[in-house]
Amino acid sequence: MVDFDPTIINKVFEHTDPVEVKPEMIKRFCESLGENNPLYTDPEAAKKGPYGGIVAPPSFAVTFRNGRHFFEHVPRYGKRGFDAGKDVEFVAPIHVGDTISLSSHVKEIYEKTGRTGTMVFVVIRSTLTNQNNQTVAHIDHRFMNRP
Amino acid sequence: MKKFDEVKIGDTLGPLELTVTKDQCRAYAKTSGFGDVAGRFTDEAAAKKEGLPGIILPGNMSLGLLSKLVTDWIGFGGARLTRMGTTYRVPVQPDHALTIHGFVTNINPDDRTVEIDVWIENEEAERLVTGTATVEFPK
Repeated sequence: MVDFDPTIINKVFEHTDPVEVKPEMIKRFCESLGENNPLYTDPEAAKKGPYGGIVAPPSFAVTFRNGRHFFEHVPRYGKRGFDAGKDVEFVAPIHVGDTISLSSHVKEIYEKTGRTGTMVFVVIRSTLTNQNNQTVAHIDHRFMNRP
Repeated sequence: MKKFDEVKIGDTLGPLELTVTKDQCRAYAKTSGFGDVAGRFTDEAAAKKEGLPGIILPGNMSLGLLSKLVTDWIGFGGARLTRMGTTYRVPVQPDHALTIHGFVTNINPDDRTVEIDVWIENEEAERLVTGTATVEFPK
């Protein structure tokens, strides 16, 4: 089984400064994805919707970056890590004017043997929190390594 | 607006047919903080240097397109996308005809949630990205 220091699990290695969500950020994000749902793009129509105004599309949550030293804390096995996938829990919508900060920790490390050989998966969980200290999203980044 | 009582197992979402341009890819990379450095998402030469056929879509952009399929299906308000899981199998390239598919695999009346399988296909019907989504309807 893969060898690692168990004390790194669940230890928060990063907490970013809050980023304010500006209307242009949501607008640019929507444009790049061809988004046209009025909930995310039309302030007047969105007022009549369930959130009383524009919110970001759920996947906007994944655009908040970890800090520049993020990858120094991601354990690696073998030459190169590969972004194998994500698991995102959208807990609460993101509104214009929210300030979002992000904290990250190693959630789990496990080994899997498949058709193509042994793979080591490192899962980093980033949690997004808003200005009311409310959890907005959990993002599990799954990195695959070939030892 | 999608209503819980109208959803059936096997209902299909989309398919959404689209081609992502290189500029769209760069624009997405920029909104995600990848745009300020030349890299596999923005720069043809940098991508080729990494052994890729050219610029590829950020994994998050694929996640965004799959999420859009689900939120388009939900429509204006009501239900909410509460979970999206993705597996990146093959790099997704701009300037290719992509089709985004989904179908309802399970309905849980107790918590009024619906489980959906989603995926992105290329012209050869190869599944580049696969995923699962959960949608929660108002109680």
